[in-house]
Amino acid sequence: MGSAPRSGRAAVAAQRRARAAEVWREFAATRSGLVGLVLLAAVFAVALLAPVLVPLETLDVTRLTAASNEPPSAAHLLGTDPSGRDVLGMLVWGARVSLLVGFAATAVSMVIGTLVGMAAGHFTGLTQAVIMRVVDFFLVVPSLVLAIVLSSVLSRGLWTIVIAIGVTSWASTARVVRSQTLSIEARPYIERARALGGGDGHILGRHVLPAVLPLVLANTTLTVGSAVIAESTLSFLGLGDPTQFSWGSMLKSALDTGAATAGFWWFVLPPGLAIVVVVLCFTLVGRALESVLNPTLRGR
Amino acid sequence: MSRTPSTPRWRRAAAVCVAALLSVGTLSLGTARPSAAEVAGENVKVALTSDIDTFNPFLAILATSTGILRFQYEPLVAWGTDNEPVPGLASEWSATPDATTWTFTIPEDRLWSDGQPITAEDVVWTFEQIQQNEALQAANGGLVENVEAITAPDPQTVEIQLASPQASNPGAEVPVVPKHVWQDVDPAEYANDTDTVGSGPFTIASYTSGQSVELKANPHFWRGAPKVPGLTYVVYRNTDAAVQGLRTGEIDVLSGLTPAQFQSLEGQPGITTSSGAGRRYTAMAINPGALDKDGNPLGDGHPALQDPVLRTAIFTAIDKNQLLETVLQGLGEPGKTEMPTVYPMYHGFAPGTEEVTFDPAAANAMLDEAGYERGPDGIRLDEDGEPLRFRLMGRNSDPTHQQMADFIQPWLADIGIDVEVSMVTPNQVNDDSTLGRYDLYFTGWGIGPDPDFQLSINTCASRPAADGSGATSENNWCSPEFDELYAAQHAELDPQRRAELVKEAFSVLYEASVNNPIWYADTLEAYRSDRFTGFTKQPEETGVITGQNGYWGLYTAEPVATAEGGAAAGGEPGGLPAGAWVGIAAAVVVVGALAVYLVSRRRGAADERE
Amino acid sequence: MSVTETAAALEEERPRGSTLPRYLALKGGGALVSLAMVVVLGFFSFRVLPGDPAINMTRGRRVSAEEVERLRAEMGLDDPLPLQFLSYLGDLFRGDLGVSYVYRREVTELIAERLAPTLLLTGTAALISVVLGLWLGQKSAWRRGSLFDKTQTGLALVFWSVPTFWLGLILLLVFAGGLGWFPTGGMVTPGTDPTGLARVLDVAHHLVLPVLTMVAVVYAQYLMVMRASVLEEMTSDYLTTARAKGLREDLVRTRHAVPNALLPTVTLIFLTIGGLVGGAVTVETVFSWPGLGYLTFQGLSAPDLPLLQGTFVVFSSIVIVMNFVAELVYRVLDPRLKAS
Repeated sequence: MGSAPRSGRAAVAAQRRARAAEVWREFAATRSGLVGLVLLAAVFAVALLAPVLVPLETLDVTRLTAASNEPPSAAHLLGTDPSGRDVLGMLVWGARVSLLVGFAATAVSMVIGTLVGMAAGHFTGLTQAVIMRVVDFFLVVPSLVLAIVLSSVLSRGLWTIVIAIGVTSWASTARVVRSQTLSIEARPYIERARALGGGDGHILGRHVLPAVLPLVLANTTLTVGSAVIAESTLSFLGLGDPTQFSWGSMLKSALDTGAATAGFWWFVLPPGLAIVVVVLCFTLVGRALESVLNPTLRGR
Repeated sequence: MSRTPSTPRWRRAAAVCVAALLSVGTLSLGTARPSAAEVAGENVKVALTSDIDTFNPFLAILATSTGILRFQYEPLVAWGTDNEPVPGLASEWSATPDATTWTFTIPEDRLWSDGQPITAEDVVWTFEQIQQNEALQAANGGLVENVEAITAPDPQTVEIQLASPQASNPGAEVPVVPKHVWQDVDPAEYANDTDTVGSGPFTIASYTSGQSVELKANPHFWRGAPKVPGLTYVVYRNTDAAVQGLRTGEIDVLSGLTPAQFQSLEGQPGITTSSGAGRRYTAMAINPGALDKDGNPLGDGHPALQDPVLRTAIFTAIDKNQLLETVLQGLGEPGKTEMPTVYPMYHGFAPGTEEVTFDPAAANAMLDEAGYERGPDGIRLDEDGEPLRFRLMGRNSDPTHQQMADFIQPWLADIGIDVEVSMVTPNQVNDDSTLGRYDLYFTGWGIGPDPDFQLSINTCASRPAADGSGATSENNWCSPEFDELYAAQHAELDPQRRAELVKEAFSVLYEASVNNPIWYADTLEAYRSDRFTGFTKQPEETGVITGQNGYWGLYTAEPVATAEGGAAAGGEPGGLPAGAWVGIAAAVVVVGALAVYLVSRRRGAADERE
Repeated sequence: MSVTETAAALEEERPRGSTLPRYLALKGGGALVSLAMVVVLGFFSFRVLPGDPAINMTRGRRVSAEEVERLRAEMGLDDPLPLQFLSYLGDLFRGDLGVSYVYRREVTELIAERLAPTLLLTGTAALISVVLGLWLGQKSAWRRGSLFDKTQTGLALVFWSVPTFWLGLILLLVFAGGLGWFPTGGMVTPGTDPTGLARVLDVAHHLVLPVLTMVAVVYAQYLMVMRASVLEEMTSDYLTTARAKGLREDLVRTRHAVPNALLPTVTLIFLTIGGLVGGAVTVETVFSWPGLGYLTFQGLSAPDLPLLQGTFVVFSSIVIVMNFVAELVYRVLDPRLKAS
C-alpha cells in the first residue's frame, strides 16, 4: 500500500477493521446470507477436496466395472453416465471447474469493470466521453451473442469460456463503480488530497479504490452466479470445453446422449440442481452483502 | 383486488394477461389430435433435425437439402435398394469399351409431374447450364468436369462424350431439371421451393423457412404414384424434443437417434425402431508429416509420427470393439477400410492385408524394439530425446469424439504416450486438418455408392497449396502406389475387376497407418408403425429408411389400413417413469422451500433490527 | 440486474439541467456512436472466425481448386479487407445486408422472416414477466415480511438461478412429452395452414411453453426492483403526509406509492428488454422456435459472414433503440423534470 505516515495508516487500518467487523455483524444477522455462505463454504470444501474424495483414477473409463447409465444404487449413489462413470464423482469434480470458471470470469469482469468505472468517474471531458461510449457499447451488445462469437473465435479450452464471459459482463460493474466514484470524489477530503498535490493515481489508488471495493465485492458474488449459469449456457450451445467435468459439460453430455429422453434422470437433474443451489447461494449472499454495504439500500 | 374503483390500469392489464395465458393453457387441453379416420389421407411427417440451405438443385450443398431433392429429381441413373445402378430417367445405358462415350435411352413414357414429357433435351439443357454458367456449379460442378460434350441425337437418346475414360457412371447423381420451367427463370436465383415440377416420387409444394417443408405425391412418377398423399418435414432443433414428438404422434419418422434414445423407444407401443447400417466411417487419423502439393512440409505435426512403426503401435493400442460397445452401445460395425459394410462389393481388405488388432503388449514391444525408451515419468522419448506427447483433436459438435478420447487417452498412456485432448469447433477442425496443424484427430466421411471420390481425395494431386487453398485432401498423404491403383480403377469398366482394385487401394491406405477407421455407426431410426408401414430400406435387409442414396424408404410407405391404431396415436406418456417426475417435482419444492425459509429468516432478522 | 446496478443505471439516465431538445440530441448522438461501433465490430469480429467459408462450404464435395477460387471471388473474399469493409458499409447504407453464403438469399429477407417470431416470443414473455413482476413486487413490498412476501421473493430467486435451457427441457419433457398438453416444438402445426382465430390459437398453443420458460427465468428482476422501489417510496415523507391527511391506505398505495415507484422500474424494463431478445437463442433451440437467435447460431458453422453481420447489427440495434426509449420514458415520466 506504499509508505504513508505510519500513525495515519494505522488509524485508517483500524478504522477499516472496525468497519469490516460491523459489516460482518450485520451480514451475520441476515440469515439467508449466512446460510447461503455456509452452503457455499461446503461446496467449496467439496470442490477443493475433490482429488481426495474422488480420486481421478475412479473416473478413468478404461478401468471401470460399472455399466453405462446404471440407475442409482449403493455403489453409485447417483448412478452412472453413458461411459459408466460415477455421476456423483463427476458432480464433485464439476463443482471444481464450475466454480473456477465462475470466479475466474468474475475476476476478469471485476478488474475491467472497476478500472474502467473508476476512470470513467474520475476523468472528465473527452477521456470520460470516450470511456463512457465504450461502456455503453458493451452494455448494448447482446452479451450472449458476443460470448458466442468470442468463444468460437478463441475456440480452445476453459480459458476461452472465462474470457468470453468476463469480457461480456463487465459493463454493468463499470457503471456501478462509476457512480460510486462520482459520489466519493465529491467528498471534501478528496478536494484536500488534490490540493495537497495528489495525482490521479494517488487519488484513485488510495482513496477511491478502497471506497468502491466493498461494493465491488457485493457485485462479485452476484456475478459469480451469473457466470456459472453462463458457463452452462455456452456448454449447452456446444461452445464449452467437453474435456473438463463442469456442471455445464455434464448437462451437455446428458442432452447429447439423449439421457433426458431415455429417462436417465440421475444424469440430467443433479448437475442442473447443483447449478440452481450454488447460484441461489451466491445471489443470497450477494443481496445480503449489498444491503449491508450500500447505505441507500439499508432497511429495505 | 378490485375493492376500489380506482384499480390502476396496469393492474387490470395484468389480470387480463394472466387470464389470457390461463385460457390458452385450458384451450390447449381441448385441442384434438388427428383421429384414426384421417390417417389414410395424411402425409408422412418426418422430423428434420439439421439445416436446409436451399432447394435450388444447382446450389444445394447441405445433406438435408440434397436428400429431399432426391425425391424431386431423378438422375439419368439412380441407385437401387442395394446401391446398384438402376434405371432413373434412362431405362438403359451403355459405354464404349474405352469408357469415354456413354449413351442413355429415355423411354417415351417418362413424364414430369405437370404431365409434360421428359426428353433428352431436358438432360442436355441441365448439363450445359452447369457447364456454361459458373454460378450453377456450386453443387454438381465436379460431376460434369469430365464431360466434354453432351448431345441429344433424338428426343429419347442422350450421348455423353468424356474427356478421359471414366468407369463411374456420368449419368448418376446429377439431378435433371425440367427445361420448360427453368429456361424462363434465372436458374442461379430461382428458389425452387413452391409448387415445383419434378420427376421423382414427390415434389416440393411449399417451404416455410425454419419450420416445415411440404412435398406432394407425383401422380406421373414412372414407377407409380406413392401410396401416401405427400411428405411433411417438420423442423426440430433438438432430438429430445423430436423423440417426444414421435411419442405424441406429432411426427411419424425420426432419424439420428442416440443409442440411449433408441433403446428407450424399443418396444414402445405403436413405434418400431430400426438400426440401419450407416454409410459413414469414423476414424482416428495420424499426421504422417503433412506435405503440400509441391511436397513441402505443412503444419506442425510431431516429427516422431513420421515413423510408420509408431503410428501402427498407436492403432494397436486402441480397442475398437470396446469403443463400439461403450460409446455406441454396440450399434454399429467395427471399422476396416474406409468403405462401410453397406457397400459389400467394396468393403473389406484386399487379400494379404495385415489387419491391426488390439494388443497393448504387442504395441509396447513394437515401441521397445524401435528404440523409444521410456523417460523417468514413464513417457517414451523419440530419437531426439523429445517426449512422445501428442495433441488429439475432435469436434465439440460430436459427443462421441469426447467419449472416445476418454478411452484413448489412458490406452495410449499405457504404452508410454501422453495425449492432450482438445475439442474444437468443426470449422477449426477443418482448418487445422487441412493445414496439417494436428498430431491425432477424429475424422469421418459419408461415403456414396461409387468409391471414386473417396479415393480421389487421397491422391497426391489432391494435396492443398501451402496456404490450404486448392483441393480437399483427407490426410495430405501421398503414395505413388495408391495413385496408380486409383487411376486403374478410375477407367476399369469391369465391375468385378474394379472392385478388386478399389479394395486394394483402400488397403494400401490402411496399411500406411495414417487413417484407421474405428467404426461404421448405425443410423438409428424410429417410426410410427401404427400409422405407416412398408418402408423399404437401403440395403433392403440391413439398411436405412431416411438419408438413402435414393427415395425408396419413404416412396414405398403406405398408411396402416385398419383403424385399430387410432387411439395409440395419442400421447403415450413415455420417457421418465412416473416416480422420476414425482422426484423432480419434489426437488423443485424442496429447493423452493429452502429459499423461502432462507428469505423469511432474513426478513425476520431485518424486521427485528428495525 | 441487481438493485445497486439498477440504481447506477438510473443515475446515468438522470439528465442534469439540460433542455429537452439538447438532451435528446445528446442521447441520440450517443446511440448513433454505439451503432457505428456495432457496425465496425460486426464486420471485423466475424472475419476472425476460424474457417474459410469457401473451403468449409465445399468440403467433402467433388470440387476443383478453380471452383473454390471462383466461390471466394463471388463472396468477395479475394478483395483486400479495407475494400471489403467499404463495400459492406456502402451496402449497409442502402439497407442491403448482402446475400447469405449458405442460404443463397438476401440477408434482409432472411432476418425479416425470423425477426417476427423472435419478437413475438420475447415480446410476450417480456409483457407477462413485467406485469407479473411489478404486480408481485409491489404486493410483496406492501406486505413486507408476510408469508406472501417470503414465498414470492423466494420463488423468484430460485427461478432466477435456473439455467434457462434446463428448465425449458424439463417443461418440454413434462408438459409436451409426458402429458401431451402442448406441442413439442415449432410455431404452427405443420401441414395445416389455419387462418384467422384458428391460427392465433394454434400459435398461442405453441407459444405457451417457451414463454413460460422465459418468464420464469426473468420475472425475478422486475419483482425485486419493484419491491425495492415501493419500499423506498413507503418511507418517504409525502406518504406520511398523505396518511396524516387521512387518505385510506389502499389509496395511498395506488395513487402515490406505486406510480412513483414505477418510474425507475419502467426505465429498467426498457433497459433489459433488448437483452432478452439476444438471450432467446437457448429457448429457441429447445422449443425449435423459428427465430433469429438460432439463425445466428447456425450462421457460425459456415461461417456465413453476411448473415452474422446482419443479425449482429439487428440485435444490437434493438438494444440501442430500447435504451434510447428508456431514456425518453424516464424523461417523460419523471415529475421532477416535468415541473421544471
